[in-house]
Parts: sequence; structure tokens; C-alpha cells
Amino acid sequence: MSASSLRKKRSGLPYLLILPTAGFVALFTAWPVLLSFYQSFFLQRLNIARFRDPTFIGFGNYVDLFSDPYFLQVIENTLTYILGTVPISIMLGFLFSLLVNRKVRGVGFFRLAFFHPMVLPMVSAATIWLFFFTPDYGLFNTALRALGYTGAQNWTGNPDLAILSVIIVAIWKNAGYYMIFYLAGLQNLPTDVYEAAALDGANGWQTLWKITFPLLRRTTVFITIIAFIDAFRTVDHIFVLTSGGPSRSSTVLLFELWLERFEYQDIGASAAITVIFIVVLLAFTVTNFITSERKEA
Amino acid sequence: MAASTTPAPSALLQRLGRWITNLFATALGLLWSLPVLWALVASFRPPHDPMSRGDVWFGGFVTMENYVRAWSLAPFGQYYINTIVIVVMILAVQLVTIVLAGFAFANYEFFGKRWIFFFVLLQMMIPTSALLAPNFATIRWMGLFDTRLAIAIPYFGSAFGTFLMRQAFLEVPRDLVDAGVIDGCNWRQLIRHVYLPPAIPSLIAFGLSSATWHWNEFLWPLIITNSDASRPLTAGLVRFTQLGEIGAQWSLLSAATLMVAAPLFIVFLIFQRRFIQSFLHSGLK
Amino acid sequence: MKKRFGTLLIILLIASLAACTTAAPAEPAEVEEPAPAEETTMEEETMEEPVIEPVTFQVFYPVAVDAPIAAILNGYIEDFQAEYPYITVEPVFSGGYADVQTAIQTTIDGGGEPPALGVMLATALYDLINAGTIAPLDGYIAAMDDGDAYVADFLPAFLSNSTYDGQLWSIPFQRSAVVLYYNADMFAEAGIEPPTSWQSWAEAAQALTVEVDGATNWGLHFSSDWPYWLFQPLAIGAGQNILVDDCTVTYDDPAVIDALQFYIDLSEVYGAMPAGVQATWPTDPPDLASGATAMITHSTGSLTGLLDSVDFELGVMPYPGREEGTYASVPGGGNFYIMQGAPEDQREAAWLFVEFLTRPEYVADFSIQTGYIAHRYSAYDTDAMLAYVADVPQALDARDALEFAGAELATQNLGQVRGILHDYIQRAINGEMTAADAMAAAQAEAEAALVDFCP
Repeated sequence: MSASSLRKKRSGLPYLLILPTAGFVALFTAWPVLLSFYQSFFLQRLNIARFRDPTFIGFGNYVDLFSDPYFLQVIENTLTYILGTVPISIMLGFLFSLLVNRKVRGVGFFRLAFFHPMVLPMVSAATIWLFFFTPDYGLFNTALRALGYTGAQNWTGNPDLAILSVIIVAIWKNAGYYMIFYLAGLQNLPTDVYEAAALDGANGWQTLWKITFPLLRRTTVFITIIAFIDAFRTVDHIFVLTSGGPSRSSTVLLFELWLERFEYQDIGASAAITVIFIVVLLAFTVTNFITSERKEA
Repeated sequence: MAASTTPAPSALLQRLGRWITNLFATALGLLWSLPVLWALVASFRPPHDPMSRGDVWFGGFVTMENYVRAWSLAPFGQYYINTIVIVVMILAVQLVTIVLAGFAFANYEFFGKRWIFFFVLLQMMIPTSALLAPNFATIRWMGLFDTRLAIAIPYFGSAFGTFLMRQAFLEVPRDLVDAGVIDGCNWRQLIRHVYLPPAIPSLIAFGLSSATWHWNEFLWPLIITNSDASRPLTAGLVRFTQLGEIGAQWSLLSAATLMVAAPLFIVFLIFQRRFIQSFLHSGLK
Repeated sequence: MKKRFGTLLIILLIASLAACTTAAPAEPAEVEEPAPAEETTMEEETMEEPVIEPVTFQVFYPVAVDAPIAAILNGYIEDFQAEYPYITVEPVFSGGYADVQTAIQTTIDGGGEPPALGVMLATALYDLINAGTIAPLDGYIAAMDDGDAYVADFLPAFLSNSTYDGQLWSIPFQRSAVVLYYNADMFAEAGIEPPTSWQSWAEAAQALTVEVDGATNWGLHFSSDWPYWLFQPLAIGAGQNILVDDCTVTYDDPAVIDALQFYIDLSEVYGAMPAGVQATWPTDPPDLASGATAMITHSTGSLTGLLDSVDFELGVMPYPGREEGTYASVPGGGNFYIMQGAPEDQREAAWLFVEFLTRPEYVADFSIQTGYIAHRYSAYDTDAMLAYVADVPQALDARDALEFAGAELATQNLGQVRGILHDYIQRAINGEMTAADAMAAAQAEAEAALVDFCP
């Protein structure tokens, strides 16, 4: 993107164009963010009469959180969850997009097959998976045994497996969603490059890795950011499958936030976690953004 | 793959390759569909026919009882109407705001551009629990409590959509834009003739994303509405998913879930063709 | 193509504008404004002729069993409004118990007026009192002709989470209990009597564990992924409940540790149930019905569904206690609460509604239709209930289990205190810690969590 082709506007037009979006965001997002930020510096617990009115404690909430071994475990669980969910969903999304970007009869049903989990309400999907994870006759275990698996089957009750169970459901739900964006990206690839490659005798693999994937880089960056944010923001399935357990082994950041806000009624702590949440996501997005844009120039 | 001048054995290998790919895709597709296929079968299973080892698919007989019952337990007719109105309302406004904003970010340089962009992106990063009480207060202040508009309005600006549109518009080759400018296009014409056409797949992707997200949104609508006259489908579905005393009723839940999701399946089947316009690995234009 | 897209966009915009104008339903529920010019008109001790102004209030309720609660409630509301024509009741279904609490709390936080009446968990008592959400009910009881008799008619187990600081704060509505369901036919075939002690329970479960085609049909399924509720009767049966009052928990009491050890022993020593945490709450009733297991621990709320799916004689009993001939159970479910922040006339009307719904015939009807336990003694004398228990004697067994019930876990800072218990029980069950160590750690943490709440 060379500067000469971007029009430096001294009129207010760009601002006007952005105004509707920014206006709604300001009213319905920025204001709650500011409120959370403010509340995070106070001690306020609704379920203790004498803590119902907020008291200023500076960074107290943050200090308490980071010196609490439970919170550190939550951070660890969150990292595991992210590492387990994001890369695999994206790779599967890419694989699916290649499989369905072909002229084959009935390809529409393939696309539906991969995309449809996104269409289901997460609570329903998770409840169906709850059945699938039932030891012994749940279909997930039946399928695994058919493939020769003889290991543990208590996916939602075993502290080592519980986080895996929620990762599996998240991947199943989201891979098809990322497929859609790869498909959209595939549509806009320039065909002349492929013609040249074909004439040069490039085979399928080479085309894929040397041409297609690099050309989709911007799409991949976009999807990575979306996937990262989505992984943080979706916890409905954890409520259904494991309730954050056993022994908190599947409690991730947003789940802990919900606990603090609605179970422990701790406004200050939940506001602090909200701020941490936003900071992490913002940092990831901004960094990704800046490094990818720098590569462009 | 390459054109027709290749020798015969390689063509056979190609066909074999395609066949294997199809087989693989079919197996993967079936595997991916297993949960919903099971739910479909379970939804026709007699409600008091318990699942057990070796008996998790069809029951003693097939029955529509679960659908009839699910439909009767909540005003689904009203909920369908409300959900469609809400989703269409949101999408209609979003399509306008994201195209305008995406265009501004992609096409212009202006002071504070990066900051404003990150500001807008915040919307994707804030957890819903932090939004409930403040937005409740804002909606009340606007006098919109218990309306479908109240459910929709916080989403009229879409960070995700703006991000996606900016992305899509940046993919448009610069020479095309410059050509348009030289031809004397104003910004509306630029959008219409230069930027939008190649961005249609992204718009459709966004539409599907927004529609499914808001179709299935649960907590905010439940909090901001009290009457069935404004509530969406999820308010009906939750009657089947929070049965804490007894645990899941698989057949009933499957029927209710499929009832709620069916329209989206159909919409997707209709629109998925639009994704594939001209691009194929054949090297043909 | 572009033209069509533009047209489509315009159509969508027009459609959305049209939708906006019809967005507000005909009569949005009045949350903010109480009926105009309200005097408190419902007090029975007014001297002069009362001016009866119409009053409308809302009741937020959850659905936690597979029954048409909404339709049932609407029927009751019709009857109520026929008797009290100046009162309008607006039922608002709000999800599960947690959602109801979230909805009410958000309404208050967001500056709105909460509903006058809500159905929430009985154990939410202390959190609700401390948050200033609910109003005490003693005034209404005192104003009744027969207030004492009214309260005495409730099954005591169901009032065990309603009192605090000498006041009454909630009235039972949809209540349940923990019971042991068993396949009476399987027991008869094996020549075993229903258990009467831990020992006979473990032995029965062991005897009824069989291998079938390479898989195991366990004698007992005992869910533990949300363990406190099903675990409490074990502790009670061992001699000590896991709590004493809202500020004292007894997680490390030797009896409680023994109870936890018994749970572990059932799989480790007797081989009678799967090892580790069992996340099987939703599949246990179907497993019992299909014969995959001989006994399950579950809620009385599942009774109706089980009776519909079993083809054998279903037995219902409280847990056997440790000693021979002793038994144990624990109540559960939701109560009516009246919200402090609602206008007084709405609260008074809400109380009349509560009184109405706790009439014996309604209590009986609700129990029969939903499977919840009828929570008043007089309900069992109604014709409808007498006929019902003649058909379904298990319903009486469910009620009788309450004779042996201790109080359900309800403390200050319940979310945290309960979470700590869950964490350590699960560690012990999964073999990460011994029962004694786990419960000692749990006790220490729970006490720390209670410090701010219990001066």
C-alpha cells in the first residue's frame, strides 16, 4: 500500500463515514469498558453488607489476583486452551476450504457439513457433546474404541482430560467458521499466478504451499486474530460440559470472570479481570496487526 | 492441474488423487456431522426410551412427539418472528455501517486512523458480563426496555464487520482504485463500482457470521426483555437446556435445537454457492 | 449484479425501519413505573373502606424440570386473578436459577425496578440478604389470622434455608430432595434386600456389579461433577453435616472425611462403581431405566421421568446411613423471595400470590404435575394427592426421605465456599490427595473465605 495511492483527506469525510460505527461502539462498548476500568480500583462485594459500597484500594484487586495460586492456574488453563484450540481450528479451516473449493457434485453439502456446527446454539451443541462424552456408550468413546483406543474415557470428569473435552468441542464448532473466511479469501486470488505456475509444471503441493498459502497471508492473520479472540470469548460449553472442573482444571479466564461476578459477587475483582481480558486481547491484536502491516510495506 | 497435453498415466494418477480426496472429504464431513446426525435421529426417538449401550440411535419406533411437545412448551411462532426481525434489523444496519467504515479505513489516510481503528476493535474484546448492567442502564435511559430494538441496537456498529471489510477492501488492487479516481468517481461510486464487487464473498461471510451469532445469542436478550412479544428463539430454547434438577432430555432438546437451527441451515445452503465465483485450480479464467 | 445488491440493501433497510416501528410490543411490561397514585391498599388492618387501586407485579421464575411450568403457572395466575381482580400478575420466564438471579441483579444494577417476586434457590438466602435484594416476610405472616399455623404446615426440611437472624425470608415453592433410586426387580432376582446401612449398601452394589459382553454394568452410579448436593447425605449419614450454620463449615470433621472415604471405597474397595469423578448426572436416570445400573443417586425431580421410562418396579429411598437402620437425605430446589426494591403495593400483592399458591390444593396440584415434592403437610390430605399417591406410592417415599434430611449447604459467600468443597472433594475422588488431606485443606480455605463475612 504505497502512500501515494491513499488519498490524504483533509476534509472530514473519513470521520463522517466512521461516525455511525464509532458512535454505537462508544455508547455500548466504550462506556462499559471505562466503567469496568474504574471499578477495578475499588473493593466492592455485593454479598457482604459492609462491602456493598465501593472503597478505593488502588491496585489491590490486581495484586490479589496475581498472588492467588488459583488465578495463576486459571491463566495456565487459558494458555493451554488457546494453544489447543486456535492453531488446530485454523489449520482445519484451511483444509476444509481447500476440500470444498472444488467443482464436485454435491459440494454444497460438504460445505454444510463443515460449517453447520457454527449455526447451532453453543449450549445445545455442548449438551449434545455431553452425551457424546459419556463413558462407555457415548459416541465419541465408541468411535475411539473402534479406532483402537483403549485409554481413559471419562472426558469430562478426569482432570487431565477435561480441558481436552472443551478444546475438542471448540475446534468442532469453529473450524467451519474459519473455512468460510478462507473461502472468501480464495475467491480473490489472482488467476494469472496460477497459470504461470501451471505452465512451469508446478504440482499441487507446490502450488499450495508456495503460492496459495502465502497469498492468503492477510486472511490468515485476520483469522488468527478472530480465532484468538473467539477462544477467549466463548465459554458456554464449559458451563455445560465441566462447570470449570474437575478441580478447576478447565476454568479459563472468562469462566473465572463469570464466577467472580455472579457467584462471588465481587465487582472489583471481576472488573479487574475484565481489564486484564481486554488488555490481553488488545495487545495480541495490535501486535499482530502492526507486524503484519509492516511486512506489507 | 495442468492442461490436456499431459501423458495418460499421469491423468490416471490425477483421477486417483481426486478420488482419494473425495473419499477423505466425505469421511471427514460425515465425522464432522455426527453430532447433529445423532441429534436428528434422537429427536425422533420416543421420549421415554432411554439410551444405553448399543442403543443410542433409533428407538423402538419413530415419533414426532418431541417436536410437537417442544413447539407447545414455548411460543416458538412468536419467537421465530422476533428472531428474524432482530437479525434482519441488525444485519441491515451493520451492512451500511461496516461498508462505510471499512471503506474509510481502507481508502483514506487521516489523523488518528490507527487509534480510532483499535478503539472500534474494542467491541470484539469486551466480555458480555461486563456489558450487561451498563447497557441495561443505557437502554432504559433511551426508553427502549423490553423491545426488539433494544436487543439489536448495541450491535449496529460492528467491529468485526469493520475489520473484515477493511481487510476485503485492502485486497482490491490499487490500480483499480486509482483508475476509478482518475475516471472521476466520487466516494459513493468508488464503493459501488470498485470496492464492493470483489468484496461480496466477504460480505456474505459476514452476513452468515452476524446472523448465526445473533440468532443464537442468549443472555443479553433475556436480560433486556421480559415479554414474549419481543423475545427471540433462544428464550424458548433455554427451557430445554437448563433442566438442572433432572439433567438433559436428549430427544426433546435435540428436537428443540433443530427447530431453532433449521432456518440457518437452509439460509446457508442457499447462500453458500455465492462463495464460489470464478476461482478454480484449473488455470482457466 | 451491483444494482440488485443495492436494491437488496434498500429493501433490507426499509424492512428494518418497518420492523423498528413495530419493534415495541403493544404493551411493554411496566418495570419502571408503578401504578399511579398508589396508596398501600392491601393492609388488612385499615379502618376505613379500602380504596382498591389496581396493581401489577412481575414474578421471575426458572424452569428446571421437564414440565410445562409456564402453562401451569399461567393457569394458577388465572385462578388468582379471578379471586383478586385488581391484581395482575406478569410471569417472566428467565432461564435457569442462575439466570433469574442474574436478571434480577442486573435490573437492580442497571437502575431498574426489580420484580416484586422471584423464584430462586433456597440456598441463595445469605447472598440475597447481604446484597439487600430481598425483604423479610415476618410482617406478612404476623398479619395473617393463622400465621403460626401457616408456617408450621410446611415440611420443616424445606424451611431450613429460610430463616436468618430471627426472621423468615423465603417460602418454599419448587422443592426436591436427594434420594437413592433402585431397581427393585434386580434386587429381588439377586435375593438382596434394599440396603439399610453403608455396609449393606456397598455389598449390594458390589453384588449387582456384573460384566456384560466385555463391559461393566456397575451396581451404583453416583454423580460427582457437581458433588456437594449428592455428597451431603453421606456426611449426614455418617453423623455430621458439612455445615453447622451460615458461618461454620465442618469439612474436616472426621465423620465428613469418613463419608468421603466411603465414596472412594465404593469403587476402590468394593469395585461397585466407576473410579474417579463421575460426570453422569444427565445419563444416570436413563442408565437406571435401561438396566445398565442397579442404583443411582439423584433428585426426586427425576421421579416422574423415571416412572415413565422404567419397565421394572422402581424403588425410592433415602441414602442408608452409616449405622444400621439409619438414613439420610438433603433438600434442594427453589423458594419464593420478595424483592426489597419493588414498591410496597406490589410486594403486598406478591405476598397474596404466594399465600394463594401455597394453599394445599395448589401445592398438591403443582407437585402432581411437575414431580416436585409437595411441601406442606395439608397438601397430602387433599383428594387429588390421596389419589395420586395411591397410584404412585414412590411419591410418598420421596416425601418421607425428608424425615432424615439435614440442611442443604448454604453459607455466607456460598459460591466460594462451595467451590472450595467441590475442588477438594474432586481431588480426593480422583486420587490426587487423600480424603483427610483434602478435607483439611478445604476447611482451611473455606474458613479463610468466610472471614470477611462472619465477624
